[in-house]
Amino acid sequence: MNGLLNSGNVLFIAAFVIQLSALIPVAFIRSERKFFLTSNIILLIGLVIGLISTLSSSLFSSSQLINDTLLFDNWIRLDGLGLFFLFIIQLVAIPTTIFNFSYLQHYIDQERPIKSFVISYTVLLVSTQFIVIANQAILFLVSWEVMSMSAYLGMILEREKEEVHKGSFYYLVASHVIVFVIYIFFFLLHHQTNSWFLSDYHVSLTLRNTLPILFILSFIGFGIKAGFMPFHFWLPQAHPIAPTVLSAFLSGVIIKTGIYGILRTFQFLNPIPEWCGWVVLVISILSAIFGVWYALAQHDIKRLLAYHSVENIGIIGIGIGIGFIGSANKIPALEVLGFGGALLHTLNHAIFKSLLFLGSGVISNNLGTRNIELMGGIVHRAKYLAIFFLIGSVAISGIPPFNGFVSEFIIYNGFFQAAKELKNYYPFIMLIFVVGLAFVGGLAVACFTKINSIIFLGTERKEIKHFHTSVYDYISLGILSLLCIAIGFYPRIFIGIVNKVIGSGFVSADSSALIGMNWLSLTLIFSAILLSAVVLYFVKVKIQKKYGRRTSATWGCGYENITPRMQYTASSFADELNIIPKTILVYHKKVEISKGAFPKQTAFESHSQDFVDNKIVLPLYGFLKKIISKIEFLSQTDIRYYIGFILIIITVYGIIAFLWK
Amino acid sequence: MEIEILQGIISLLIILGFSPLFAGLINKLKAVLTGRIGAPVWQPYYDLKRLFKKETINATVSSFVSRISPVINFVTVAVAATMLPIGFWKPLISFNGDIILFAYILGLARFIQILAAMDIGSSFEGMGAAREATFALFAEPIFFFTLGSVAFISGLSSIYDIYYSIQLNNISYIVFIVICSISAFLLAVTECSRMPVDDPNTHLELTMIHEVMILDNSGIDLFLYQYSGYIKLFIYAILEISFFYPFSAQSYLVGVMIFVIGSFILALTLATVETITSRFKMKNIPQYLLFATAIGILNLLIYTFTK
Repeated sequence: MNGLLNSGNVLFIAAFVIQLSALIPVAFIRSERKFFLTSNIILLIGLVIGLISTLSSSLFSSSQLINDTLLFDNWIRLDGLGLFFLFIIQLVAIPTTIFNFSYLQHYIDQERPIKSFVISYTVLLVSTQFIVIANQAILFLVSWEVMSMSAYLGMILEREKEEVHKGSFYYLVASHVIVFVIYIFFFLLHHQTNSWFLSDYHVSLTLRNTLPILFILSFIGFGIKAGFMPFHFWLPQAHPIAPTVLSAFLSGVIIKTGIYGILRTFQFLNPIPEWCGWVVLVISILSAIFGVWYALAQHDIKRLLAYHSVENIGIIGIGIGIGFIGSANKIPALEVLGFGGALLHTLNHAIFKSLLFLGSGVISNNLGTRNIELMGGIVHRAKYLAIFFLIGSVAISGIPPFNGFVSEFIIYNGFFQAAKELKNYYPFIMLIFVVGLAFVGGLAVACFTKINSIIFLGTERKEIKHFHTSVYDYISLGILSLLCIAIGFYPRIFIGIVNKVIGSGFVSADSSALIGMNWLSLTLIFSAILLSAVVLYFVKVKIQKKYGRRTSATWGCGYENITPRMQYTASSFADELNIIPKTILVYHKKVEISKGAFPKQTAFESHSQDFVDNKIVLPLYGFLKKIISKIEFLSQTDIRYYIGFILIIITVYGIIAFLWK
Repeated sequence: MEIEILQGIISLLIILGFSPLFAGLINKLKAVLTGRIGAPVWQPYYDLKRLFKKETINATVSSFVSRISPVINFVTVAVAATMLPIGFWKPLISFNGDIILFAYILGLARFIQILAAMDIGSSFEGMGAAREATFALFAEPIFFFTLGSVAFISGLSSIYDIYYSIQLNNISYIVFIVICSISAFLLAVTECSRMPVDDPNTHLELTMIHEVMILDNSGIDLFLYQYSGYIKLFIYAILEISFFYPFSAQSYLVGVMIFVIGSFILALTLATVETITSRFKMKNIPQYLLFATAIGILNLLIYTFTK
């Protein structure tokens, strides 16, 4: 308990107390609107204080080492990894909470009760922060469960809708499977180390035979949360139906707790065998490629963004995989580049994914639909929204000069490093992965040019009556966009932070592979691009003044009556790419071709379903349902039967526990 | 140090200055091969001058994207050009990992150009944009299987160093490099919208890829698009020619001669290919690109296992 009450810790504790006290107004403020305003303001203050305390911690100080602080009898631990994730959570939570001011207003106008949503949102934020600082396995599991359940309760805000039922049920099932798996994981760890503290978990070399089980349990449990490819099926079901604030937070932050779990597992199991690295690498590259390919086939903007999370989790996983391989081969440079890329991409993805989700929320609220085929021309209604969304899109596609490029650049360099250090057949395999990553980049470009152009550009496919954006929308989107720009143009600071995190408990030896890269050149090149583009733009405007500029209707091959419906659609834009992996995307097209001299009205539709969901999860569910229906006779209305069952189970458990000892 | 910067600037100016000439050369050679007199090699310069002085007409529905797109296109292509060596002169931008920046900075140009095409709200442009996005996707792997595989073999990640590291002392390595240069040629054809992938001279919007995307532009906007198109063509030509620098034995003069002669031979090859082939059907283009990728994979695989 020594030093518990120094200034940094006081701020840290105060932040949590204030955040939790956002729940107090529920007791005495009856008006929905007043309650939500007070609660949200208190929460925001708590978050800002929390961020300040995180920023004043050793992670952001000039010292090279991070203090590994243990508080409250070792129940709370502030180490590099924990602080970094705490920083991500708070950084994203602030804009989403600001966004709440305008977003929930929309629900209040509909006279929908939102008290329960505000409560579950607050609990969600606090419990997510607890996950990354918990050092006690039970505290970790409890926070995990609270986080999962509060997200579920928040998700069912519009519970009268059929799709909300379906999506939130997927989420609930996935959450329960995760908890089940990580319970076993932690109990095994406890069994081996006789401790409940995460800081004590080091699977010693004598107990190596349990390592594969531990690794696989962790990768399944945390992998479902993160959304790696075979386990991703719940993500595109759950994220679209949640209220926008929540889907931004789910996609930006909560799935990252899965990444946090995997990185923690690495610390427990370090040194890790090389096959773990390959498993992660292969699953990740498949997640990345098919995640973005599925995204390309979607018409629902939020579902599309959810699939993009699968892609980005894949990219993070690729970084982790490189780190594992580096760790197995004891190459510090590789560890630093792999984990560094993964951590920075985690931060980056949290930023641009919440930016895009919040942006999509503004649009779908105004238009009353999430179907992008009904959108268009929004740039003429809200220019700055289009600019912010464009920044997020360029960033998520990994294109310079924004932050997505920086982390992908590190991961590419990791591959180069691996090829250089591990000769033999490694260059060939690494190059295959590089090409895979480049392919993902190309697909992301196709996907984000698609949604940007269909949503914002051209003319309105469906008439927009009025488009309302509030100052809160712009503040939250602006903060996130600025972060995208800052990390892109001046990555040096953030690289330093990431490097420090990796320095504390990830690498076998120091390496300057990450920090020593030529970050200044990137800054200079990007600044030069920006500067020359601005100058050239003004020169262009000047030349146009001299030789004239006017606007005229789009050229229609001589046809005059062009309607908005004649524009290129999202499905036709993506069609050529979607028909390639038709079976995997479960991509269906229904085309009616018009015939005869007086053709009737024709129709076209295309849609894609999830392969894992349709071919694996649903059949499995049907199979289980069939088996369970066999024992349906046990389901009685009389409560005494159930008490009897409970007694039998407890007896069985008791006998097993007795024999075990 | 100063001399290197000077050389870099000169290289950039060479690329910016002579890229229209290269395009003019291809057109002239093509004309000669098909038995026409053809436009003078300086024609692209006249075209640019004419466009520069024309009035700009923007589509009514277009937004800020159409205004900034030509500018960003030009700047990014010019920045990509500063990463390439002329002879053995060190380019202005050269650092470890610039091969990735090179690929991605051209990606920025593509991203904004696709958006600008969709900005017009016409289905012609939309079609071109969709095709550009599709074919670019398949072209990306070829780049990494050509220049990238040389990089992975040598363990270097800067374009200048990669070319500098090529040494022709081992027969299997020579074969490897020659095949790399062949797939680089296939890549150049795709990226610069030449035949047999795209036909820059077609007169029907439905059959175009790149040209249709800039259909509704005029004046200075079109000037910038055309100019960046010429530069891009020259960039890919240089990527191809640079494979032959090892023959120069690292003397500047021979290097420059290889550059000049190489450009001419490449122009002749492109003109010949365009004379004797016709454009592929759209649906066959991915096959062509995958074929080029397969060459790259096989090449690297064979080299890795025969080493």
